[in-house]
Amino acid sequence: MVNKRVPDWLNSSLWSSPGPQQSSVQSPSPSLTPLNDDDSTNRSTRSATKSSVATVNAVKAEFPVERPSAPTRHVATRAKQEIRDPLSSSSNNYHSDDDNGSSASSTTTSASAAAVAAAISSAEDISRQAQLCQELSRKIINMGEVRRLASQGIPDGAGIRATVWKLLLGYLPAEKALWPTELAKKRSQYKNFKEELLMNPSEITRKLEKSVILDDEGTAIDDKGALPRSEITQGDHPLSLGKNSIWNQFFQDTEIIEQIDRDVKRTHPDLHFFSGDTPFAKSNQDSLRNILIVFAKLNPGIRYVQGMNELLAPLFYVFRNDPNEENAASAEADTFFCFVELLSGFRDHFCQQLDNSVVGIRSTITKLSQFLKEHDEELWRHLEMTTKVNPQFYAFRWITLLLTQEFNFPDSLLIWDTLLSDPEGPLETLLRVCCAMLIIVRRRLLGGDFTSNLKLLQNYPSTNISHLLYVANKLRVKSAG
Amino acid sequence: MVLVLALGDLHIPHRAADLPEKFKSMLVPGKIQHVICTGNLCIKEVHDYLKTLCPDLHITRGEYDEEARYPETKTLMIGQFKLGLCHGHQIIPWGDLDSLAMLQRQLDVDILVTGHTHQFTAYKHEAGVVINPGSATGAYSSITYDVNPSFVLMDIDALRVVVYVYELIDGEVKVDKIDFKKTTQNAN
Repeated sequence: MVNKRVPDWLNSSLWSSPGPQQSSVQSPSPSLTPLNDDDSTNRSTRSATKSSVATVNAVKAEFPVERPSAPTRHVATRAKQEIRDPLSSSSNNYHSDDDNGSSASSTTTSASAAAVAAAISSAEDISRQAQLCQELSRKIINMGEVRRLASQGIPDGAGIRATVWKLLLGYLPAEKALWPTELAKKRSQYKNFKEELLMNPSEITRKLEKSVILDDEGTAIDDKGALPRSEITQGDHPLSLGKNSIWNQFFQDTEIIEQIDRDVKRTHPDLHFFSGDTPFAKSNQDSLRNILIVFAKLNPGIRYVQGMNELLAPLFYVFRNDPNEENAASAEADTFFCFVELLSGFRDHFCQQLDNSVVGIRSTITKLSQFLKEHDEELWRHLEMTTKVNPQFYAFRWITLLLTQEFNFPDSLLIWDTLLSDPEGPLETLLRVCCAMLIIVRRRLLGGDFTSNLKLLQNYPSTNISHLLYVANKLRVKSAG
Repeated sequence: MVLVLALGDLHIPHRAADLPEKFKSMLVPGKIQHVICTGNLCIKEVHDYLKTLCPDLHITRGEYDEEARYPETKTLMIGQFKLGLCHGHQIIPWGDLDSLAMLQRQLDVDILVTGHTHQFTAYKHEAGVVINPGSATGAYSSITYDVNPSFVLMDIDALRVVVYVYELIDGEVKVDKIDFKKTTQNAN
């Protein structure tokens, strides 16, 4: 049996993101309901499996509708709702018997129906939030349970994302009683790193020398005479070109520090948290810079590579916005260790020498390509053979930056919830999500040539994130058969 | 942590061809923030070379300089320190501490850098410090033929100056340092 067929559930237009001609909707809130009502009626018309798929989709689609806690999230929600409306109208076209046709196509739906939809979504939310809070309040946390709950997305409500991420990255142990000691230990360790590594050579020399420093108080009496010459500490002087010279190392590091500086200033220029002239933004940038410099100095093998700032930004953002004051104040130290942990799985992607090796970025991209071939051979063949879109052209950024650059900030936080909750490390889930991203736009890809496909993949259109994650999850279950 | 290079009395091309190789290999651009030169370069090419080391270059006029428009004295503020610069052939007796102290009080500076004697000296007196970086090429002076090439690098860090003295003795670069702290007594 030829493997090239696409699974039936995938063929439904529900899964493909709309083309550019379907423009956005008038008012956001009523658009929720048509989808919900549609699917409730469709439950009878479709087969059992499809209906369960549809209902879960409906519920999942409502998931991002959360209390507008932050302005950025609110905007994201609105955008998602606008996309969902064309989805509902396309699903209308799919079904001939649609007794909700009037309500679906029009935007005038009763407020109560909208409230019902919202209630269903926030009920899901609230239940997950309650479950997570309950897990977190235990003395010994069940990591498997937390991972399972987190993979569906962490609600914004209780501000638990920071704690959950710290647990998922292994920064906090599962036993809650150990948290204060662990945190204190790690934070003081980071403080020591900073003191050691961020000192300039003058200060280091001062610390090292034990020779008598000219004490002006003592020699105020003899106010004339030749100044005493003393030996230099450890044969080190500012113009030294020796390898062991701290001065030489300092000047070599300035290059990297300049690079880090430039990248930090360019991180997320649209977010007030990171950019702008406010002291808050400046202090956040300083924290990012310190973390990257300490990391570069502690890891001479990999130093700093452009893109690490993008991986650092969401971590720092989440930890800094922790409602717990104490945690928010030590966000820098916590972010450093979590960053190290996160990067430990992906270090090889950043090392240029390993590009062509088994662990390097090229091999990961090949893995993605294989994955796509397994699940959707028609699309794979079209992309790689017919239109010759080399996966390196688009997947490089997707993989190395963990999709932070493809979606807006709140969406990427949601994606990271799922990525970090994978017990085997984010890489497998990442490949699945990338594959899902390709499959969702398969219609447009199959219809496009090299230029249009590349353009589409390099500027990935905004989609419903929970929908994307759902497809990715499905790929886990339906492996090549 | 500001690095200031102080040198002078190169007398290129009249008395010396070039800086010693070992000095040249150490003086690379990008490390030094300021260069102060006591004078007697003597030609424009040397000025251009010093400019490549660091764009912030201050020169005072020595008696053999071909460029007539350098000032006789200069003062600048680096960190918390006021530095004064003068070639030193104007101060008579040449190299005399009391007369240099007079100039220092006139310019009202903490550190006075002068040259002309082609000998490295570093004196302290109540108003501050007087440094003579010597001749960077080892050119003979009006007083003596026996000159070791030398120059001075100052590391200014808040209220503390570490003066690194680089001398070429018997073909080897020897580095010494001198510490100097500015106290409120000296801050007149």
